[in-house]
Amino acid sequence: MTFTNCRHLNVAMVLSLLLLTVAQISHAADDQRAKETVDRVASLFSSKSSIATVKMQIFNEDGQRNLSMQIWSLGDKVLVRITNPQDQAGTAILKEGSDIRYYLPKSNRTVKIPASMAMTSWMGSDFTIDDLVKEPFLTRDYTIGTSFEGKRGDVAVYEYTLTPKPEAAVVWGKIVLQFRQADGVPTWQGYYGEDGKLARELTFSEYKTKSGKVIPTHLVMQSADKAGSHTTIDYEDIAFDVPIVAGTFSLPNMNR
Amino acid sequence: MSGRLLQLAWRNLWRNRRRTFITMAAIAFGYAMLLFVACLMAGLRWQMIQNGTCLVMSQIQVHAPGYYPNRSLQKTLGGRQGTDVSAMLASIAADRRVNAVAPRVYGYGLLSAAHRSAGVELMGVVSEQETRITTLNSQVVKGTYLNARVPKGVVIGDKLASTIGIELGSEIVLLTQAADGSMGNDVYTVVGILHTGLDAVDRGLVLMSLSSLQDLLHLAPGRIHEVGIKLNHITAASTVAAALEVRLAKSLPVRVMAWPELAPELANYIQFNHGVTVVLFFIFFLVAVIGVMNTMLMAVFERTREFGMLMAIGMRPTQVIGLILTEAAGLAVASLVVGATLGVPLLWYLQVHGLDLGGATGEVVSVAGVVVGHLWYGRQDFSAYSQAAIGLAATALVSALYPAWRAAQLRPTEAMRKV
Amino acid sequence: MTGLYLLAKISWRNLWRNPRGTLLTALALGLGLALLLISLGLLDGGHEQTIADGVRFGPGHVVVQARGYQDSSSDELLLPAQVVSTVEGFLQTGNIKKIVRGVSPRLLATGLMSSSASSAGVRIVGVIPKDDRAVSLIPQRMVEGTWLTSDDKLSGVVIGDELARKLELKIGSKAVLMTQALRPPGIQTGTASGDEMQSTLLRVSGIFRTGLQAIDANMIFLPLSAAQALLGVSDGQVTQVALLLVQEGDSPLVARALRKQLTGSPVEVLTWRESLPMLAQILGLDHAFNYIMNGVILAMVGLGILNTILMRVLERRYEFGVSKALGLEPRQLAIMVVGESLALTAISLTLGLVLGLSVQHYFATAGLDLRWIFKAGLPPALVFDPILYSRLSVVRIVWSVSIVFAMATIISFYPALKAARTDLPDALKVL
Repeated sequence: MTFTNCRHLNVAMVLSLLLLTVAQISHAADDQRAKETVDRVASLFSSKSSIATVKMQIFNEDGQRNLSMQIWSLGDKVLVRITNPQDQAGTAILKEGSDIRYYLPKSNRTVKIPASMAMTSWMGSDFTIDDLVKEPFLTRDYTIGTSFEGKRGDVAVYEYTLTPKPEAAVVWGKIVLQFRQADGVPTWQGYYGEDGKLARELTFSEYKTKSGKVIPTHLVMQSADKAGSHTTIDYEDIAFDVPIVAGTFSLPNMNR
Repeated sequence: MSGRLLQLAWRNLWRNRRRTFITMAAIAFGYAMLLFVACLMAGLRWQMIQNGTCLVMSQIQVHAPGYYPNRSLQKTLGGRQGTDVSAMLASIAADRRVNAVAPRVYGYGLLSAAHRSAGVELMGVVSEQETRITTLNSQVVKGTYLNARVPKGVVIGDKLASTIGIELGSEIVLLTQAADGSMGNDVYTVVGILHTGLDAVDRGLVLMSLSSLQDLLHLAPGRIHEVGIKLNHITAASTVAAALEVRLAKSLPVRVMAWPELAPELANYIQFNHGVTVVLFFIFFLVAVIGVMNTMLMAVFERTREFGMLMAIGMRPTQVIGLILTEAAGLAVASLVVGATLGVPLLWYLQVHGLDLGGATGEVVSVAGVVVGHLWYGRQDFSAYSQAAIGLAATALVSALYPAWRAAQLRPTEAMRKV
Repeated sequence: MTGLYLLAKISWRNLWRNPRGTLLTALALGLGLALLLISLGLLDGGHEQTIADGVRFGPGHVVVQARGYQDSSSDELLLPAQVVSTVEGFLQTGNIKKIVRGVSPRLLATGLMSSSASSAGVRIVGVIPKDDRAVSLIPQRMVEGTWLTSDDKLSGVVIGDELARKLELKIGSKAVLMTQALRPPGIQTGTASGDEMQSTLLRVSGIFRTGLQAIDANMIFLPLSAAQALLGVSDGQVTQVALLLVQEGDSPLVARALRKQLTGSPVEVLTWRESLPMLAQILGLDHAFNYIMNGVILAMVGLGILNTILMRVLERRYEFGVSKALGLEPRQLAIMVVGESLALTAISLTLGLVLGLSVQHYFATAGLDLRWIFKAGLPPALVFDPILYSRLSVVRIVWSVSIVFAMATIISFYPALKAARTDLPDALKVL
């Protein structure tokens, strides 16, 4: 059985940076500064818990759709609850470890999602469920090297190219990460297939300070072959390291 | 002259009735057998096509261009605005070659019941129209087919039911990505369980009403994915499909495909089978030909004395040959007529009642996606019938020619001495 | 009895008084028999081939799997390792070895394969490359790259062309396979954290096309030991052992023998009729078709014999009249006719056997290419081999010859009777 329109997208890096969990920095960074930057970024976003209010805008050939949601994360547990539009309000996604469940208010049922469905586009956006809830292991799976240093546009950036390690189970040919030289926040990411073609890119902007950290609050995800289609995520609010009641990540809590 | 030849030929035939009848029997019986075989073989071919298309696929399908084979949800007939479905159906049904039409909607989703879930293919149909083009409804083993009393009822395959652990009356949730990108979901009741023997259906198909699937997928009522068509004569499928495409394209971009394109494995199997039956028919033909040739040869050879006598009283050799050929031709035609007469009731019986192979097959089951029952129907294959007739008649003439020619070579006295 | 012996000699000489006529008739009948043999061979061959084509894309002629697998298809039902070795050991024994063409142990599971373009659910098949080549048809349907080569390492994955198209994969492309460890049945899936999915990097080393959508879009092949490692299956465990036999007719025999060997183990040994009931049914129709066709040919041959003998009898009225006048009894006359028929049939059969068997042999080795029959184009991927190979067993040959002989004997009774009743004064009239 196959799904149509599956865009597998390991953009989890983005959200993990923002929603994050303990970043797995390893030993294997080649370039010292690259490692330092990635380290710094990771520590910038690492937190044990977070609560965020997010607005997602999906632009495609059908027009534009808006979704508003609240996202709680604690360790490897994530709860997403949709608040707008009205006909989808109350839909919730709970991830615990590798289990993913949906709560569907219209049917008043909780459904467990098999892994195969986790790779399909979420809500018609350019993100998949995997992106929202799974973490990549960037430094585990890739070798980091500095590929550019200088100005892109009018911003001074460092650009790192991540090349997959020979045995790493990742589909990309390479990933390019761009960070601002001034404060090391991410500005752009590109995901390339093995043939070197850009498959998708993620752009960051509107930097604000939240819970003492400077983070981009506007993200745009664009797939290379769907010109005119893109998805934006806006962090209307986000708080890190806030206490979250354990019972938040439970089935009963999903249908509140 | 020819009038007298004919008279002589006619009288010769009746003079030795036994010989005439034996020869006639060879040709007539041979022809009747060939008719029987040709009819059965054509029937087998027809049956394979029929069985392969009548269950779910239907014989011709109409889609929006680009819809097949990926089946993208958005590519409905008429694009995002949809189309006037009933007008389209009426337009197609107006073609005299079309027997019935039915609209369909498809989707993929997750079926979830108490503890388990499975990926399924969703098919939305209008039951009164669908039952006129396919026979899936006859495969329901428990419960009923879709009906208006339970608008959110679904029919699923028995293997799916047992894998998930649900039965008649169970409530299930269907979850899918709707056309607007949102998470389409709703609760449905299992009203029927079917068994086809086709794994893809029994394990992966969920049948529901067209409107309830449109609701689930957030599709407007004018948006459908496919029109299924059943024809009066299935062998014309590709031609009708091409004609339909040309006609429909004037108002709406469409792609019309006949079953050979939709089920190439079936088309391949039928070709293979056809090849085997052609070879077989050829062998049968040879056997019949040998029978006819043998009989004719002997029949003419044994009359060598008679011909000798005719030549002795003044008939020219060419006239003798002419006489023999006329006899042979008359005999051949008469025999073919007899053979056909014997065959026609048999052919009629085969087409209407079929050959019951009760012992060989019991349950209805499938291969190369074909479901086969146990009644083998015959079908008329007029080109085979006429080819066989011409072949046999030609054989009779040619086989009479050789001994006639030999006899004509002999001197009358020699010929008369032959015993 | 001297009487009989004399009659026999007369019968024989009678035949050769008209050598051309006799030979012609013998040739005709012989051709009839030859054609019968040829058609039998082609039909049997076609039947066998259709079965083989069907089973070689699946579980083979006989399959050994865990009990209950046929009904549930649950990935977790595995065969214990010792069953596999028992089966393989048994199949090496003398008699059985001769009738088995190939043995392929396989591990079946489901997983998710992703590329940078897309992802799709797949059916994972772990096989021993060399063994599966002897059973499955897929290794012969490669369109790009090669079939699996190494036995152990995860050197590459072989996929169908439909899957390759969907995931935009070429030879050498990267794909990630996500799988879940197979747990033996009996262990509960609690509500606690589920099973971890494992991701593995694979490179496409071969692409095949069978023409069957279900296979080309879903199946991927890996070396067995790699698949076992991937799925957390302890050494030696597989889902099924598929067997391909030389003759499908041996399936019940082999199945029974294996069942006996494996009594006590929780396994099911199925013939293809049980594992592929759909194929069995279509072939039931095929079988019936063959019977009817054989019947028709026999009827035609029989009629030919009747015609021939009757003709001969009729044309020799004068001769019979003379014989009777000279003292031959009606009974003796009848026996003589029967004797001639039998002798004629014997000659015909010999001719027919020679001709028929040689043509049949040609078709058995070179095959009959059905493609020249089709003027219209063939579909791009052929599921069914267009070359038809004839298969004629000794049993069939003996059967055909016996039936034709018996038929000839019985058929000759009527003309013999007519000969015996030759009306004396009438017959002597020379016309």
